[in-house]
Amino acid sequence: MRERVSNPILLYPGGPAKAGEGGLRGIFRMFRVSRAFWLILPGLLLTALVIGLPILILIWTAFHEVSRFGVLLSFNGFANFADVFADPLFYAALLRTIVWTAAVVLGTLLLSLPVALILNEDFAGRGFARLLILLPWSVSLTMTAVVWRWALNGQSGLFNHLLLQLGIIDTPIEWLGTAPLAFTVQIAIAILVSIPFTVTLLLGGLSSIAGDVYEAGAVDGATGWKSFRHITLPLLKPFVNIAIVLNVIYVFNSFPIIWVLTQGGPADGTDILVTYLYKLAFKFGQLGKASVVSLMMFAVLLIFTVVYAALQMRREEA
Amino acid sequence: MGLFTRSRPIRSLLCWLLLAPLIALNLFPFAVMLSTALRPRDEIFINPQRWLPSRLAVENFSDMWTSVDYGAAVLNSLYVAAASVALVLLVGIPSAYALSRYDFRWKRKYQLFLLITQMVSPIVLALGLFRLFVWLGWIDSLDPVAIVVAAFNLAFSVMMLFNYFSTIPRDIEEAAWIDGASATTSLIRIFLPLALPALSVTAMFTFVEVWNEFVITLTLVRSSEHFTLPLEVHALASNLYELKWHHIMAAVLVATLPVTVLFMWLQRYLVGGMTAGAVK
Repeated sequence: MRERVSNPILLYPGGPAKAGEGGLRGIFRMFRVSRAFWLILPGLLLTALVIGLPILILIWTAFHEVSRFGVLLSFNGFANFADVFADPLFYAALLRTIVWTAAVVLGTLLLSLPVALILNEDFAGRGFARLLILLPWSVSLTMTAVVWRWALNGQSGLFNHLLLQLGIIDTPIEWLGTAPLAFTVQIAIAILVSIPFTVTLLLGGLSSIAGDVYEAGAVDGATGWKSFRHITLPLLKPFVNIAIVLNVIYVFNSFPIIWVLTQGGPADGTDILVTYLYKLAFKFGQLGKASVVSLMMFAVLLIFTVVYAALQMRREEA
Repeated sequence: MGLFTRSRPIRSLLCWLLLAPLIALNLFPFAVMLSTALRPRDEIFINPQRWLPSRLAVENFSDMWTSVDYGAAVLNSLYVAAASVALVLLVGIPSAYALSRYDFRWKRKYQLFLLITQMVSPIVLALGLFRLFVWLGWIDSLDPVAIVVAAFNLAFSVMMLFNYFSTIPRDIEEAAWIDGASATTSLIRIFLPLALPALSVTAMFTFVEVWNEFVITLTLVRSSEHFTLPLEVHALASNLYELKWHHIMAAVLVATLPVTVLFMWLQRYLVGGMTAGAVK
């Protein structure tokens, strides 16, 4: 990203021309640093306050006994941590989060890859097809979930109606009535809303593969499946990796679909960590435990982010 | 590239056929919205169900609008979105400018920091944010919501602006400096007008994000007079006594359609902003 400019004095107006008279490189440098510093300061302050302060508050809360109404009582060491690790609901939610994340990310990728490949072909109405594929991205997850909740209604829902019309089922199904089925449906909806983002990402990758690579491959006899297997897939791999990591982060954090469809019910049977966390904090008033779960999730996200950053750097160095 | 090597008409047909199931699933929620929002009240809970109502009940929209004071929710959403977008641009432009024009020691660290803020989901911090604003005595108001949403959207905007800023040649600014313009003058009078397309695209993306935001608003807003559109729809759909699905779907349509149109127009700018500059 570093650009070489022939005359460095011109690069930093105002400062260098004046301070540079005596050739004081030190002042020169300091001025550059401080100018950039003042420019990024507002952004740094905003994010540090909005994201940093709550984390400090969560850390502080996690080590205190907290009343139902949020009053900090006494320092209690790791008692809140012990409470979380003694809660069977925590383990159930954790396990479900792993299933949820793995299933949604894998399902999304398996569907997005062929869709991106097709959209990368030259065919009539491609632009319009792309719009239709990206459609779910534009709707808020909350709204999508509300629409699906109504569409999945057992007696009057239009989804059952459609399946009956198509002859796929012959009696209406109560989609959200039992936890395992509701959770499966939620995974399917989550896949559906994750496809647009993933396809866009993969399309970006596909468009970066130059056409002459394929021509060269064709000369060597690589066409069709061979060219896909030996040219497209290896060149697309960095983008697939990024799609996986970003989707893991987004899906791991995803709240509205489960919250709006079932609020983690029936009988806590569809709770993942985020809905479990939200209930602890804002329904059950167990703020100490909620802080602990928040911090654990933050730590996991931090790890994912570092992995993502490492992948990005590797892609750029390659 | 050659997954299918047949003639173009056949290939087009094949592509559309393969995409058809997914496209149908994407269109299905819109069909549900329209079909439900336009039917009379007594045709909601019917079994067997049908797609077309006996008549177009357009009065659902006006009934819904007055019964829940939907106009207030629209104004609330517009207020939060406008305030957030303004804040994001105000804070994001200098950041992106610094990243694209200056070489400073903790540049990479700042970028990694931004990346982390982008990856942290509001839900993980919801309790901390709630306690922060209770402590500040600033709860149940739209202003903190706008500030928090702006902070969570800053990283994406900075990266998008940064990518575009880096494509604007330095010569133009340098010429202005030679002509005696100060750094600030050249930034405002020369640089920003050149960056206007990027600024508007970034503003619109932030607008869509804020318009659709749910978790932060759910956490920080209590009374219904401050509800934004997603919160209002969520409240309607959480009513324990009566679910007026014809009203709810009308509300969803009103909240969704304008943004969907805007987003469809914007989507072509997406790829670059998403990944190109994430970490450099």
